[in-house]
Amino acid sequence: MDIFLQQLVNGLTIGSMFALIALGYTMVYGVMKLINFAHGDLVAASAFVGLMIYTNVLGGSISLFSVIAVFLLTAVVIAIVGVLLERIAYRPLRSAPRLSAVVSALGASMVIQNGIMLLWGPQMRIFPDLLPQVYWEVGGVIISLIQVIIMLLSFILMTGLYFFIEKTKMGTAIRASSIDQDAARLMGINVDNIIVLIFIIGTSLGAVGGIFVGLYYRGITFNMGWQYGLYAFVAAIMGGIGNIPGAMIGGMLLGLFNAFIAGYVSSTWFYLYSPHCHPYCPTNRYSG
Amino acid sequence: MLKAKTLFMASLPLLLMSSPLLANDTLKVGVQAPITGEYANEGQGIDQSVRLLAEQINANGGVMGKQIEVITCDDEGTAMKAAICAKELVNNEVKMVIGSYTSTCAEAAQPTYFKAGVLQTSDGTSDTLTQHGYWTFFRNSFPNSAEATFAADYIVTNKQYKRIAILSDFSSYADGLANEVEGAIKKLGGNIVAREKVKAGSQNFTPVLTQLKSKQPDVIFFAGYYSDGGLIRSQQVALGIKADFIGGDANDNVDFAKLAGTAAAGAYIINVPTPELLPYDLAKDFLAAYQAKYNMMPPSIWTILNVDGMRAFIHAMETNKSFDTKAAADYLHTLKDYPGITGPISFAEDGNRVGSGYMTYEIQADNSYKIVYKQ
Repeated sequence: MDIFLQQLVNGLTIGSMFALIALGYTMVYGVMKLINFAHGDLVAASAFVGLMIYTNVLGGSISLFSVIAVFLLTAVVIAIVGVLLERIAYRPLRSAPRLSAVVSALGASMVIQNGIMLLWGPQMRIFPDLLPQVYWEVGGVIISLIQVIIMLLSFILMTGLYFFIEKTKMGTAIRASSIDQDAARLMGINVDNIIVLIFIIGTSLGAVGGIFVGLYYRGITFNMGWQYGLYAFVAAIMGGIGNIPGAMIGGMLLGLFNAFIAGYVSSTWFYLYSPHCHPYCPTNRYSG
Repeated sequence: MLKAKTLFMASLPLLLMSSPLLANDTLKVGVQAPITGEYANEGQGIDQSVRLLAEQINANGGVMGKQIEVITCDDEGTAMKAAICAKELVNNEVKMVIGSYTSTCAEAAQPTYFKAGVLQTSDGTSDTLTQHGYWTFFRNSFPNSAEATFAADYIVTNKQYKRIAILSDFSSYADGLANEVEGAIKKLGGNIVAREKVKAGSQNFTPVLTQLKSKQPDVIFFAGYYSDGGLIRSQQVALGIKADFIGGDANDNVDFAKLAGTAAAGAYIINVPTPELLPYDLAKDFLAAYQAKYNMMPPSIWTILNVDGMRAFIHAMETNKSFDTKAAADYLHTLKDYPGITGPISFAEDGNRVGSGYMTYEIQADNSYKIVYKQ
């Protein structure tokens, strides 16, 4: 029983990260009908930006202030990158066939990935322990402070987003733009601004996800965005792409799915079930 | 104006072609290593140390009057890219290739070098590397089977663990090592409670570790690479699994302790001596030169083993007074006790390096290594 609960906690932790990242995919798709392949790489970039802000701007001191500052500053920086990405890579192709925008997204993904490599180097970097390594044992289940914060903060952000989309005027405008852009324009909604807003929200949620990845796993590499992007993409599809609560549930389900398949079926079979390319697949990046 | 431009464009291919012609009287040495990707740390170490050795040899007049030219190809740690690298290096007419770091990549490139008659040396420890009968291949490290015997002896006889769990990734090196260790432990009558596989680079190992926890192992042997090993150790401690952790040779990298964080202390690693522990003068000189040039120590012993492979190749060519690779290989197959940075170099008929000296290290609180068991 405690094994079951432990897998549940682990699954919900990674599920929260997937869900946060998946929201960026699904929101952009909802309004622009574009799969933003560069989103995963923005997530990777945010882990590196967070690392840089911590060491270079905050001088490497650990305090509650520096933790909050890392999250906020990284979200701001990545949101700016996200808006620039939309301006440079997607806006010029707004009226082009949809495939052109997809190719542009793939190109942007490569540019960001290689940009990280040029700025921070190809080797693995170690993310600092911003939070103390505290563990609690509750009924045979080990839970760490980092896990609690990941789950709690993701929950707060996701509920906030849900109410923003459902209850505010701005949220209504976002929903209207995703249903019919032309009709939304006729109603006086500036769709261009809505798209910028979508990119700001989506990428800053992804930035929080990226810092979570760094905090939880410690090792960050320039090409890890591909992996998280793929997971989040599947989560977004599972929840019905374009559907915001769907992406949250999709991410959680994928996290739990990951934990339970490896825990109860077999770790060897795990990769056949999970969206992660299985080990003998030719495009697999790390065959060891 | 247009004419001048056309003329320039037309002569461009000629200009480009002339440069390799000028460089034709150099000895070309290829480096095939993961310069980027998960094992970038090791790949860069191999590239840097080969370039350092080449620089040292060139400063002493080169090899029989020829200067060494190093050509590097990044295989990213993937078999697919390794095969491409092999063709690229062969097209560049290299005489020898140093690398790659992983067995998978070395194996993927082997047939290409064999067909082209290019000497290859790798630190890959997978036993299969020397089982293809390629006369071009020389292993500069010691095979998995030698390590497995040592590891099993340490686990079963020395530490007398009662419930042994074995973990590996899917790569030919790691899976091979885990299987060898499993076999060797069974031979000694050890009790294996679990044998699991994880995906290299997947970062989240908690599902597999949680499952392991229910089997209550008192030791986890991990065959795999440091980039995963460090995280596994950290997640193992976080999950409250009170088992000892023993990492196979590829966990020996400075990043292991960084990734494991506070959990690094108390972990064991089995490998041949680390660069700092090498007693030979050659080793001390080379490490000092490396430190002076790059302002850091080599990332692990693998870097230095690859340098020894290259030194043996050059020694063979100089002894034969010929750049012929077949003659060099014939000489190397009978090479006995050529002084190396990592100890005397001797090769067997199948290209395996002879001799081994494994040790078990315990990582201390300050991330230094302490020898706890020696063969």
